[in-house]
Amino acid sequence: MVLIKKPEQRDLFPGALEMMILRTLKRQPLHGYALAQHIKRTSNDLLQIEEGSLYPALQRLLKAELVRAEWGVSSTNRRVRIYELTKGGAKHLQREVSSFERMLEGITRVLAPGGS
Amino acid sequence: MNWLKQLFLRRRLYDDLDKEIALHLEERIEELVASGMSLKEAISAARREFGSVELVKENARETWGWRWLEDLLGDLRFGVRMLRRNPGFAAIVVLTLALGIGANTTIFSVVSAFLLRKPPVRDPDRVMIVSSVDPAKDTYAPDRAPVSPLDYLDWRAQSAAFENMGAANLDDFTISGRGAPQRAAGARVSAEFFRVLGVNPLFGRVILPEENRSGNDRVVVLSEELWKERFGNDRQVLGQSIKINGNRYKIVGIMPSTFQLWDFHAQLWIPLAFSPDDLLPSARSRRFLRVFARLKPGIDERHATAEMQTVAQRIAETHKDTNQGWGASVASLQLYGIADSGAKTATLFLSAAVGFVLLIACTNLASLMLARTSAREREFSVRSTLGAGRFRLVRQLLTECLLLSMAGAGLGILGAFWGVRALRSQFSWNEDALAMGRELSVDSHVLVFTLVVSVCAGIFFGLAPAIQIARREPGGALKEVSRGTTAGRERHRFQRMLVAGQLALSLFLLVGAAIFVDNFLEEIRASAGFNSHNLLTTSVSLRGLEYLQPQRQRQFFEDVLKRLQGLPGVQSAALTTDLPFNFPGSARFTIEGHPVAKPEEQPFSGYFAVSPGYFATTQIPLLRGREFASSDTADAPPVVIVNEEFAKHFLGTEDPLGRHIHLVWHKQDQWSEIVGVVGNVREFLSQPAPRPELFVPYTANPSGFTRLLVRTRTKPESFSDSLRAAVWAVDPDQAVIEMRTMERVIADSATGDDLMADLMSGFALLALVMAGVGLFGLLSYLVGQRKKEMGIRLALGAQPGQVLRLVIRNGMALVGAGVGVGFLASLALPKLVAAAFDGMRFNSAWILISAPVTVILVGVAACYVPAKRATRVDPMVALRYE
Repeated sequence: MVLIKKPEQRDLFPGALEMMILRTLKRQPLHGYALAQHIKRTSNDLLQIEEGSLYPALQRLLKAELVRAEWGVSSTNRRVRIYELTKGGAKHLQREVSSFERMLEGITRVLAPGGS
Repeated sequence: MNWLKQLFLRRRLYDDLDKEIALHLEERIEELVASGMSLKEAISAARREFGSVELVKENARETWGWRWLEDLLGDLRFGVRMLRRNPGFAAIVVLTLALGIGANTTIFSVVSAFLLRKPPVRDPDRVMIVSSVDPAKDTYAPDRAPVSPLDYLDWRAQSAAFENMGAANLDDFTISGRGAPQRAAGARVSAEFFRVLGVNPLFGRVILPEENRSGNDRVVVLSEELWKERFGNDRQVLGQSIKINGNRYKIVGIMPSTFQLWDFHAQLWIPLAFSPDDLLPSARSRRFLRVFARLKPGIDERHATAEMQTVAQRIAETHKDTNQGWGASVASLQLYGIADSGAKTATLFLSAAVGFVLLIACTNLASLMLARTSAREREFSVRSTLGAGRFRLVRQLLTECLLLSMAGAGLGILGAFWGVRALRSQFSWNEDALAMGRELSVDSHVLVFTLVVSVCAGIFFGLAPAIQIARREPGGALKEVSRGTTAGRERHRFQRMLVAGQLALSLFLLVGAAIFVDNFLEEIRASAGFNSHNLLTTSVSLRGLEYLQPQRQRQFFEDVLKRLQGLPGVQSAALTTDLPFNFPGSARFTIEGHPVAKPEEQPFSGYFAVSPGYFATTQIPLLRGREFASSDTADAPPVVIVNEEFAKHFLGTEDPLGRHIHLVWHKQDQWSEIVGVVGNVREFLSQPAPRPELFVPYTANPSGFTRLLVRTRTKPESFSDSLRAAVWAVDPDQAVIEMRTMERVIADSATGDDLMADLMSGFALLALVMAGVGLFGLLSYLVGQRKKEMGIRLALGAQPGQVLRLVIRNGMALVGAGVGVGFLASLALPKLVAAAFDGMRFNSAWILISAPVTVILVGVAACYVPAKRATRVDPMVALRYE
């Protein structure tokens, strides 16, 4: 459940959280907690993510085989389950991002001042 | 199959998730503590940030799409637990279902095998049997009489409705030459016979048209069974020869074992060749052929019947001497054997009985399920108050019903297979029954139908109350149950009606079954007119040219009798051409002083040629005059002995001794003197009245086919080898067949009546037990519901006896209602049965008393256990119960 910080703002569209997870994992494999912290941080806490909601999303990605998970040891020497992007995940991310960009562009044009 | 792999790995996936979430929280807490928060604060902060752990887990799991399955497994586990907590209930439901399904499938498998069976020929619907119609309506099946050769040839020439017409003459043959001599049913058939039926041999060929001529007819087609039995699968058998009735026949083909016709069993087929005698005009009155015909396309049975009637009428007009009044009938091969036979009615009755049993089984299920669901009303109320969805509750119940239904159905299927196997061995009263028994198998359509009906019944009756509960206000039932001490009488009206109805049905069945059993026992018990104990019989049919001479026949049997009489263990031995209880033959005669104008007006009676000592051996009482003596030979003055009925019927008050009768085949002036009168003997079961019978001395009227009768001093079965040996000592080439005790002969002549009586009483018992179980179930439930009330009563000083009486009174009210209704319905049964079955009588009023008493006793027994349980309620436990 991705909640936007200001109550007057609406929910993110479905799939947004997954897209962010994939994007983050593209940079480097991470475990759940680190992933949550990273998304929080990079969004400048603009998007407050209820940390728990990350897990159902990760399960969905696991099921679709866009990510894979493996038990390992983190830099702080604790047992963690590290998620990694699969080839399919990378492709999927690319497709999603480009379609998202096109959508964003469309929205921006419509919203642009002076536009007819 | 990725999902399948995932499914099996799901426990690990879930474990990973749980661990992962725990670690996540741990890491967060550590971090928060590191940033200076107290542990307590850190824990709650971490939790807050994370959100509901359980919800996250559930959402995550749902991703995998197994929720439905997990719910189902949960339901199943819960269901099994609930059932195990109440094993009596589960056992009764499962057994009820199993019995209902098993019994129904078994019986309807028989019914379908019997009534819906298709003969193994090409397009069976098009194959007809064309028969003569005997104007004398008092013979057995007058509309299905055999056909004479000339009539058959005329029918062939004059009818246009049939593609082809063939004839068969069924007979028994003695096979010898290879291995022990053996008798086999067979047929002389025209070449068209196989063509009409459209059947092909396993290998070799069938009979050719040119072989239907005397002198050219020494070929034989064997059945697969006979071939395997005598030649052991040897394919080189074609062209070899086999001895039939002493003559060599060349084997030309083998018919597959699948080719066997109802009523026309044959192990071998040889060509039908008419002799010149068969084609004399007077031979039209010798009717011995069965005529098979295949309808032309587009022509139906009715059309063919109309045409054949015209043809037969024309023949009757041109050949008045032999065919006056004779007609023709057409019946499909399939219906031929079963049309208007008592067996059809019997099967329908059985079906009705078994239908009743199924009905009782279903009502039992209904009442048990209703009882159970209402007993759990509180549980469901609690669950629905705690937020369980209506659908979820109904699904839980559905799962339990399915669980029970499946268990019952599984057992029922096993029961059906077992039942059919058990019945198979009971079909033994004649060749057709044996064949039917062999082919009897569980009918899959029937099985599926019964399964669907009973499983649906289980589900319906399990769900109906559940839906009702689910529809109610969540709190309502909770309040009602906790407030109520006595379950409302109103709420159980439906169940009470069901149980009373069951009792009524089972009483009805019981009376019906009792009428069948009573009739059957009556038949068996009724005096046969002779002593059937320790009497062994066998048939010998002399084959071979040398035995065509009467002296040789006589000599042979006299030798055999002499041998037998000399054996230790033999009290006496005799021979006869026919046995009682074996549909004896008859003869026409004229009585001295009572001349008739036309031959067909001559009286006729049962006819036996018996050896001296026959009456002593059978212990048929000699009432007047003398027995036959060995001096009563063909050269001596002819004598006859008649039975009491003969004397009464034909001679009235005249003294029979010394009167004379003239037998049709005797010379014009050869009159036989009546020298003795013997007691009446029954000729078949359910014979309404004794038939006139006359006996001639075998010594003067030898024949090649006789039956030996031996009265043994010990068990007759153990004597069969000695009897066989005695015959073979005289001539090892003669087949000894149909070795049976006289009691067996009588039982066999019942043609399934005993099976019918057994089955009917089996179903009646089943119904009674099930009704008892239904009553037991309902009362147990009611007692369970009133535990608190019983506890209070006992605590307030009620005597256990009073409580016992209270419960029993409650149950007996139902029994009374059921028995009352059932009794009234049963009053119609005697008439119903008498109308449906010839010769079935209602002759014991005791049935109408003993059957209700039986039901009442079962009712008392069913009440007693729950009642006793009610008296054992511990007041403290009962009060604490709610």
